[in-house]
Amino acid sequence: MGRGLSRVAAVAANTFRETVRERVLYNLVFFAILMTASGLLLGQLSIRQDEKILIDIGLGAIDLFGTLIAVFIGVGLVSKEIERRSLYPLLAKPLSRGELFLGKFAGLVFTLLVNVAVMMAGLYATLAATGRGVEPRLLAAAYATLLGLVLVVAIAMLFSTVTSSVLASVLSVGVVVAGRFSDVVRHMGEVLPGAPRWLSEVLYAVIPNFQNFDFKDRVAYGDPVPASVLAWVTVYAAAYVTVVLAVGLASFQSRDFQ
Amino acid sequence: MKRRWAGAIVAVVFPLVPWSQSRIDTDVGEFRAQQEVLYLWSGDHVKRLFPGFEGLAADVYWLRTVQYFGGTRLYARDKSFELLRPLIEITTTLDPRLEIAYRYGAVFLSERPPIGAGRPREGIEVLSRGAARNPDSWRLRQELGFFHFLYLHDAHRAAAVLEEASTIPGAAFWLRTFAASLLAQGGDREASRRMWRQMFEQAEAGILKENARLQLRILDARDAADDLTAAVAEFERRHGRRPERLDELVRGGVWRGPLADTAGVPFHYDGQTGRVTVATESPLWRPR
Repeated sequence: MGRGLSRVAAVAANTFRETVRERVLYNLVFFAILMTASGLLLGQLSIRQDEKILIDIGLGAIDLFGTLIAVFIGVGLVSKEIERRSLYPLLAKPLSRGELFLGKFAGLVFTLLVNVAVMMAGLYATLAATGRGVEPRLLAAAYATLLGLVLVVAIAMLFSTVTSSVLASVLSVGVVVAGRFSDVVRHMGEVLPGAPRWLSEVLYAVIPNFQNFDFKDRVAYGDPVPASVLAWVTVYAAAYVTVVLAVGLASFQSRDFQ
Repeated sequence: MKRRWAGAIVAVVFPLVPWSQSRIDTDVGEFRAQQEVLYLWSGDHVKRLFPGFEGLAADVYWLRTVQYFGGTRLYARDKSFELLRPLIEITTTLDPRLEIAYRYGAVFLSERPPIGAGRPREGIEVLSRGAARNPDSWRLRQELGFFHFLYLHDAHRAAAVLEEASTIPGAAFWLRTFAASLLAQGGDREASRRMWRQMFEQAEAGILKENARLQLRILDARDAADDLTAAVAEFERRHGRRPERLDELVRGGVWRGPLADTAGVPFHYDGQTGRVTVATESPLWRPR
């Protein structure tokens, strides 16, 4: 068990190094430029809304960049290794498929954690530099966003175990977008009167509800995010990630690479 | 050799760039209003394009609204502000809690040209929608009441809305008495002055505050014109004739104040009727 964990950690560390080497964290430079420019310009353009817009831009960028990284790097972690055949020497080592899969997942989650943490620091720095208060409540939105990103990574890795990288990317983006339209899915009957009720209920239950992880507007307006809500969102994310990883792992382990 | 040719071409041709630009600026004007096109007119459609990023999209649309309003007001030949209402609608559909968009949007729509679009009913519709979507905001309801009185001159509706606003927790204590006085007096210049003063004191520095300040100066100018009309009557009583020019009032000892409004434009005097009004060329003139 202990050795297994250390091997997972070794793969995770290697995955983190790999993403850094692939210049994934360059998005932080873009984020820094975006925040600096926003901080300088918004006061003149926005009519008294600069703080809210700064928060919206900061949290929106964290969500958007994080989702892009989670989908496209997440898909590449497995399917590109298969397509480039670089997976075979790895599997020849004393490393189980499960350890490899979970290690890669943990490595990308750590990359996203670093990404979100640095971006939040940048957002706080911009708010402080432009004379605004540093509001701890923003951390609630960032935390929920990170949970959503972890789920996106799991979904992207699941698809990458069953299909090509291009199709896995398309499917992952599709699920993420559908999950952001959960309210539409739930009330599908109003848009498509002929759609059976059970279908919308099944889809609502099955498609991950990414609206659960969106507290950006609430914190931008200073509304509190109760700890109990965050706790339930954490439980939801943990349950969903566990299920998706289990299916992905089963698929990865049963796949014939010949 | 090739480098020398390239250098020569750059040296010869590049000066054409700033020269042609200056010719374009001369012909079309240095500040060209952007050809504004709105591809999506429904806020609900726009909302569906940005799942999870509605707040950020609302900010973008709000910035665009402000730029459109400022650009059209300053540079456009056709100041019909055609896109103003849909831009405000999209912004507030994306973020129904963005109070500033309702408040500023209503002013942009309601003020008379050239300051605004001159469509106060639309401005009031925007504020009504904002008040309905934000039932806890007494400020939006207060401004809705003020707008009913100031732009539609409907004292009864204004009083009813202010009465409603006064019942919202946290509302200003004076709203109820204000509503009562509006009903009692049926609306007069003093009521307008109190409303604009409230808006001036509540507004953050910027367009809203400046507009409230301007409205107070307009009311001051009307008061001064009325005082001058009274002075003309006093002059006539004392001298048995009306003055030919306003400066006779000063020489005749019935007026000590200025003969121009605070914008520096002399008041208009109608010798036939003895009435003094704000001159139409003054920035403080407004049709009654």
